[in-house]
Parts: sequence; C-alpha cells; structure tokens
Amino acid sequence: MHQDNPQPRRRRRRLTKGAATISLAALMMAAVAGCSTDSDQVTLNFFQFKPEAVADFDRLIAGFEAENPGITVVQNHQPEADTALRTLLVKDKVPDVMTLNANGTFGELTEAGIFADMSANPALATVADASIKIVTDLGQFGDEISGVPFALAASSIIYNKTIFAEHDVEVPQTWDELIAAADTFQAAGITAFYGTLKEQWPVMPAFNNLGAALLPENFFDDLRAEGTDVDADSAVSFSADYREAAEKITKLFSYNQKGAASRDYNAGNKAFADGEAAMYLQGTFAIAPILANNPDLDLGTFPYPASNDPAENVLVTGVDVVLAAGRDTPHRAEVDKFIAYLMRPEHVAAYGEAQSTFSPLVDAEPSTNPYLAGLNDFVAQGRITGYIDHQIPASIPLQPLAQQLVLDGDTDAFLTDLDNEWRKVAARSTKR
Amino acid sequence: MTTTLSPEPAQVAAPATTPAPRRTVRRRARTDEDGRQINWWITALLMVCSLTILIPLYFTVVTALKTPDQLGGTGFELPTSIHLQNFADAWNLTNFPRALMNTALITVGAVLLTLATNSMVAYAIARNMHRKFFKGIYFYLVSAIFVPFPIIMLPVVKQTALMGLDNQAGLILLYTVFGLSTNTLFFVAFIRSIPVELEEAALLDGATTWTVFRKVIFPLMSPMLATVGILTCVWAWNDFILPLVVLSDPSAQTLPLANYVFQGQFNTNYTAAFASYLMAMAPLLIVYLFAQRWVISGVMRGSIK
Amino acid sequence: MATTSATRAPLVPPDARTRLTRRRRTGAGRISPTFYWMVIPAVVLFFVLHTVPVLTGMFFSMTNYAGYGSWDFTWFDNYVNLFKDDQVIKAYLFTFGFALVATVAVNVISLAVALGLNAKIKFQTGMRGIFFIPNILSILIVGYVFNYLFSNSLPEIAERLGITALSSSILANPDLAWVGIVILAVWQAAAFNIIIYLAGLQTIPGEVYEAASLDGAGPVRKFSSITFPLIAAFFTINMVLSLKNFLQVFDHIVALTDGGPGTSTQSVSLLIYRGGFQGGEYAYQTANAVIFLLVIVAISLFQLRVLQRRESSPS
Repeated sequence: MHQDNPQPRRRRRRLTKGAATISLAALMMAAVAGCSTDSDQVTLNFFQFKPEAVADFDRLIAGFEAENPGITVVQNHQPEADTALRTLLVKDKVPDVMTLNANGTFGELTEAGIFADMSANPALATVADASIKIVTDLGQFGDEISGVPFALAASSIIYNKTIFAEHDVEVPQTWDELIAAADTFQAAGITAFYGTLKEQWPVMPAFNNLGAALLPENFFDDLRAEGTDVDADSAVSFSADYREAAEKITKLFSYNQKGAASRDYNAGNKAFADGEAAMYLQGTFAIAPILANNPDLDLGTFPYPASNDPAENVLVTGVDVVLAAGRDTPHRAEVDKFIAYLMRPEHVAAYGEAQSTFSPLVDAEPSTNPYLAGLNDFVAQGRITGYIDHQIPASIPLQPLAQQLVLDGDTDAFLTDLDNEWRKVAARSTKR
Repeated sequence: MTTTLSPEPAQVAAPATTPAPRRTVRRRARTDEDGRQINWWITALLMVCSLTILIPLYFTVVTALKTPDQLGGTGFELPTSIHLQNFADAWNLTNFPRALMNTALITVGAVLLTLATNSMVAYAIARNMHRKFFKGIYFYLVSAIFVPFPIIMLPVVKQTALMGLDNQAGLILLYTVFGLSTNTLFFVAFIRSIPVELEEAALLDGATTWTVFRKVIFPLMSPMLATVGILTCVWAWNDFILPLVVLSDPSAQTLPLANYVFQGQFNTNYTAAFASYLMAMAPLLIVYLFAQRWVISGVMRGSIK
Repeated sequence: MATTSATRAPLVPPDARTRLTRRRRTGAGRISPTFYWMVIPAVVLFFVLHTVPVLTGMFFSMTNYAGYGSWDFTWFDNYVNLFKDDQVIKAYLFTFGFALVATVAVNVISLAVALGLNAKIKFQTGMRGIFFIPNILSILIVGYVFNYLFSNSLPEIAERLGITALSSSILANPDLAWVGIVILAVWQAAAFNIIIYLAGLQTIPGEVYEAASLDGAGPVRKFSSITFPLIAAFFTINMVLSLKNFLQVFDHIVALTDGGPGTSTQSVSLLIYRGGFQGGEYAYQTANAVIFLLVIVAISLFQLRVLQRRESSPS
C-alpha cells in the first residue's frame, strides 16, 4: 500500500464539450413506476395500528372478503404505528383505510387534511354523538368529520380479585385507601403494581388519569394561550399545576416489583395473568392480552381514586380505535363498504367483547363484559373525561420524560422539562 | 447501516515507511516465519476471547430449541427436550419464506448490479484520471463517503416514493448507487495497478473500449470484485434502516424488517423469536462457513489496496 | 518496495507505471466516447438519488414543512431553535460520547486481537474465521439477542454471584444503558477492524522484527517503534471510519433501548428518524441533519489531519 501512484504531471486540458450534457436516460427508471395494474380486483391497503388486534381484524377481513369477492383487504401492521403512518404520509402513500388511535397525532393529521370526510357515511349515524365529539375535539378539517369511532377504551386500574379477597382489601375509593391497599400488599410480600418500564408509554395511563383528575379546568387552553411564555412563574405551567399528579405518579410506581425497568408491556400482561401482582396500571385494552395468557384470571377494574373525595373520581375514556380513510383513495366506494361492514353492531360488539372495549354505537347495550363492571356506572353517569396526553403535541417527548420521572423520581426535573418542551415547541410552531 | 459499509479507502496518506536500514538485515537460519515457536499463551488467550463471539451464538441456538417453560434461570442451560415447533411458529409468524425471498432478491440484485456498474464507472475514471472531468467525478463520488445516511434519510424517503422506488427494485438501485462512493475508491486503486499494455494490445487488434472492459479488464478485476461483492452482500442482507424507511408495502419486508415487526407483535414469545433470529442469521452463516477463507482474504485484500 | 500483498505483486511489473506515464505523455489526446457513457448514467443516478436529497434537505430545512401538506419559508428559524433545544443537544452529547468510547474500545481491542492472530499461534485460520463472524450478522437481530441477555440472563447470573449492582438490567438503568450499546457496537464492529489490522500487520516484513531483535528491542519497544508506525495508515483509516460509523448509530439502539430509559440513549440518527416522522417535524429534523453533516465533515477532516500528521512525524 505504500506504492505511490504517480499521476501524469501534464494533464489534458481538453475536455470533450459534449460531455457536459447530462443524459437523463437514467431518470426513465422512475417512469416505470406509477403504472398500476388494472383488473377487476380492488385491493384495499388497510393500515392497522393495534398489534393485539391483528387476528381480530384478520377474521373481520375474511368475512368481508367472503361477502365481497371483488375486494381484497391487505392488513398492514407495523410497530410504532404513528411513526409508520407519518412515513407513509411523507411518501404520499396514505393508506386507503386505517384504524388509528384517536390521539393528538390523529388530530394533527386531521387538521392537515389527510383523511376523507365521513360526515355522509351512514355508519356515522349509528354512533353516539359523545363519541364523535371526542374525535372532532382533537382537531377538524373545516367542519368535516374525519373518523368513525369503532371502539372506546377506558383507562383504569386493573386488579386481581383473588389477591384482593385473600388480603381482605376492598376496592379503594380514595387516594389514601389506594396507598393503604398498596402498603398491605407490599407488607405481605406481594407486588402492589406491576411495572413495565422497559417501554416508555406504559407510564401514560397514570399520567393521564392523575392529570385529568388533578389539573385545573381549561389547563391546556390556558397553556396554549401562554405559548412561548410558559415557565415555572407563568400563570399556568406544569411546574405549578401538575406537581401533585407527578408526585402521585412517582408514589404509585415506587410500589413496582424489582426489575420493573427491564419488563415490557407484553411481559407485564403475562406476569399479571400469572398472578404476580395485585394491581396493574393499564388501560382496558390490556384486559384482552392478559386473559389471552390466562383465561381463568379473576380480574376487575376500578377508576383511579386520584384524590380523597370519591365524588371527584372520574373515568378517563377515549376512542381507542377510529376508522378513517385516505382523502384521495381511488377506492372510496369499497372503503365505505368495508367501514360499513366493520361498523355492523354485531362486529362492534364482538370486537368489544374480544378486546374489552366499550361500544360507541348509539343504541349499544351496556357492556355485559364482567371485567368492565367496575366502570359501567361511570360511563352511564357521564363521569368521564378525555386523555390529557392528546392535548400535548407529538413533538414533545412526553413518554420518555414520563419514563424518566418514574425511574429517577425527579419531579422537579420532569416538570421543568415539560415546561421547557412546551415553550420550545410553541416557538417552533408559531408560524404553522 | 453503520459498520457494514466501511470498505477501506485505499489512498490514505501512504507515509514513506522505510524498513530498518538494510545493513541490519542479516539472514539467519530461522528467517522463515514458520520457524517461530507456536505461542501457546496467545493461542489460549485468543481462544478465551473467541468465546465472546461464540457464547451469544450458543445462547441463540439453545433458546431457539427450548419450550417457553424451560426459559427460566440464566438461559445458558441446555434444553431438556428439543422443541422444533418454535421454528414452525417463527416460519409462519414472520412469513419467513417471503422475507427470505425478498432479502435474497435484494441482496443478489444489489451485488450483481454493483459489480457490473461500479467497476465500469471506476474503469472509466481510473484510465482517465488525467482528465479534469473524470478527476472531478472521482472526487465528487468519493467525497460522499462523508455524508452519513441520516442526512439524506428524510428526503430519500420522500423522493424514492415519488419515483416509485419504494420497493425491492428501489432498494437494489439505492444499494448500488450509495455504494458507488466507496466502491469507486476500491476499484480505481485496483485498476490503476493493472498494466495498460494489455488494453492497448487489444485496442490495436481493433477491440472497442467496451469490449476491452468486458473481455480484458473485468476478468482481471476478479479479486477486487470478490471483495466488493462480499461487502455489498453483507450490507444488503443485514441492512435495517433503508428497508425500514424506504419500503412501503408490507409484502416487500426483508428479514431484519420482518424480525422488527415480529418483535413488536409477539415479543413475549421468546422461544419463537429466537428461532426466528436464528433463521434470519442462518443463510449467511452457512455460506460463510464454507467460504470463510475466501471471504476473509477478500476483505483483507480490499483493505491493502 | 513494501508491497507485500501477494495478490498484487505479479500484476504490477515494477516499471509498468513509468511506461504507462510515458505513453500517456506522448499519446494523442483522443478519448473513446465510451468512457463517458460508462460514467455519465451512474453519475446522473448518483446525483439524483444522493445529491438531490442532500439539496432538498437543505432547502426544506428553511421551511416549516411537515413532510406533507402545505409549507412556508421560515428561513433560519429551525436552526436557531435547534441550538435552543436541549433534547437535540443531549442527543449530540450522547452520540459523541458513545462514538468516542466505542471508537477507542473497538480500535484497542481489534488491534490487540489482530496482534494475537498475527503471532505464531495454533488454529490461526479457524480463529480468524470466528472473529469475523459478527460482521456478517445483522446488528438488529444480534441486538435482540443481546437485549435478552442483558435483561434476563445477566441479572440472573449477577444475582447468583451476589453482585447486587448488576442484578437489574443495565439497559434499564439510565446511567448504564449506554454501556450495553457500546458492548454490542464493539462486539459487532471489532470483527471488521480486526481483519483490517491483520491485513496491515501482514504487510510488515518479518525481517524488520528480526533486525530489531538483534538490536535488543523488547516486545513493547518493537510495537511502539516498528509495528505501530508501519500500520499507522490502517490505524488512521480505522479510527476515522469507526468514528463516522458510530456517529450514525441507529440499529443498535432500536434493538436494545429504543432511546431509553427516558431519553438517555437517544442518538442523533434516532432523533432525526423519530422527530422527523413521528413528531411530524420533518423540516426541523432536516435542519438537524444539515448541522449533523457539517459536524461529521468537520470531525472527519480534523481527525485525518491530526492522525496523518502524527503518522508522518517520527515517533
């Protein structure tokens, strides 16, 4: 390698003039794209965000395809659905039809005009107004309705009835009772709350529930008005208003089992199913995967007692699955057919049974799902509220920060970080 | 994407390294390298070190053979009974045949297209380095080595989709084009070591430049073609980030991507997951097992150029 | 001289180059147009698929584009905001710290192993073959295996041995998670670097050592005054490329920590991917990518200068 490559000292200055002309022939490769195969068979690209529901939708698709031989539905599931969907949007490859979580991202995408208008979709008429309002509150494109709610989920504490009975613990109605119960279990050598902190999002249910109950009214409206001025001294801020909730989150996660930080959601579902903990801070969507691990588990649910006044307890609910269509899908008729099929009461009910969700339909029977019995009253009495993380822009790394909070218990850092992030994002998005 | 694309540039400053003064070089009876004593201490030490490579592989194999209830403990225990069902499960859950086909198609396509085109580009450059145009192109291509992929990730995603290249064919093209930087460096250095007389003789016999390249130069380049082929193969087979961001259609998933999706969906099914990892590693491992000497000498050759 | 690569020697008659040069000098300036046809399509493709993305990236970094929908120019707002964003700064600090440690570790370990493999040992070919295995495995998939080892097996072993400090997963510890990533990165990258160093070591003629032995040089002195200077070029290139590759770390992190716990292992690449797509801040992260490019180019040039100066200065 030490051989020198002597280059000719005298270089040819002459350059063929025509050489500068760049051939665009290579670009023709690009043109090969775009040619679609025309046949009678219509293929719907169905983006499905929920890993645990892949099999349920496979069944629904099979039924639909049997009824509609001319239509093929291809279910596309990817980890990190939000990221995967945004990637598809950047590619200008909006799926024909999709299931999405009605969250902040859904609101942002709606406002960007990604989704088709569903106002005229007959399926929408069967959905209760309250559920539609949850979707439209997230963001709207004009006065369109961009999604059809398919399933409602609630966020609550899941508990193991057998363990509760063994230790004579009643379902807690107040924060103090909750902590007393946790202490009882801990003293008995039982994990009070099973933690799955290997992933970031499992802190979110607690973040939402305690925040929803403890934040002042119109907190996020005020925060948005404050914009780039948010800090510890502004009229509203996370530092001032979320402190109690943050401290209570830290308290709850301090009861986690040893090694919680190396367990993920799936491992948690299995461990809870195996009776390794008394309580589990997860949404109702976790019930199905838990029972898949152990169908005989006697589990129940109760809303978070965030304060010491039982009357203030509320149930955090949201639209867990919303059906939406790409605005420019060339197969709108087929998409509407598919959505109508999914929204048939028997299918919504079957899905709700399988995944332990509530039905968004206007004339839905109250859930007979025994696992949701502890929550039915709250739904019936309208003591419900939305997910607060839907109000927080996706560019704020909320989940990592929340994970950090429960790992190191540094409440001050968490609140300051949230205020900082809010301020920074407000500054970045002023021109949007 | 990180380490696989790291063929060695050839023309790093070659310092004038003079061996020790000639007078000290005296022939002794044991000049022959093989005459040295075998150093058993180093042998033993290296064998211990090689365990760090073998243990994770052993771990993957035993875990893939266990039933879920054998999983406890440290995980290094041998399985009490062989559970081949894991492989069947992984086969179905990751749609292994499809992912394998995609990966194989992309890898073979990328290797062939890279060898055919990049060598040709390098030939034209190497034989015309004294011309400004070609020298300029050489530096243009080679300087792109310093542009890390994350820089172009977001625009590439948009652009490939726009051009209809968000599929297997697009990936083949991307590997070929993105590899051009380092491969040009390799090939140019190698071609410049091939004497030009052969070509001139062929040209005098009336052969065209094109024929000279195909019939004379290309065969002479086979050692370096092997090197570049190996590196491209390893890169395309194992790459994760390009398929992740470029491919749109789930049916185009490659092996790493299929395992990523599998991980998100069934990640408590550890035994099937490990079976799936093993199946994703196996094809290249098996090829390597048989072509080991050839692969390593190919890589070493590339680095000396 | 010093061309010890066996493959090369027969191909290059010593006087070929001078003859080639002479002919070029005296030869006519004719050039076959075929040469142009050989490069131009490839260069056009390269321009379209590599340079155009760099340029469009730079263009959009001055807008508020989300990757879809409408956009406006915001000029340098993204850049200003980047410097105020502690998430970005944290990601850079993590990435540099990681890359630095991993680069040093990989090169020290690879050089040591290569020296061992170059010594007179038994099973040389076989062991060389084993040490190269990690290079042919997918980082992502090996990462999943390591993830299980770190999360389940190591804590179990530590527990049995009574090492309480390690009885919980290092990946779950914000202060230690980076160590796990370094281990995976070194494990995988050493394979390639070992082979490069080995190739370098084999270019050193045996006579040189003998001469040194006769002069009474010990092993340390032999290494510092003969071996190392002679493979300095390999060292330079390994350092530069390792650092450049490690600065782009992505697969390792996806497989091991996903950027966590918290944001403690979020690398710049991961931030660009996550923020650009999931966060919907395509333009903002493109600006981040432009800065990243400048930083990497600057570092690579700096490194080359420093290392080459050291290489050529007598040691």
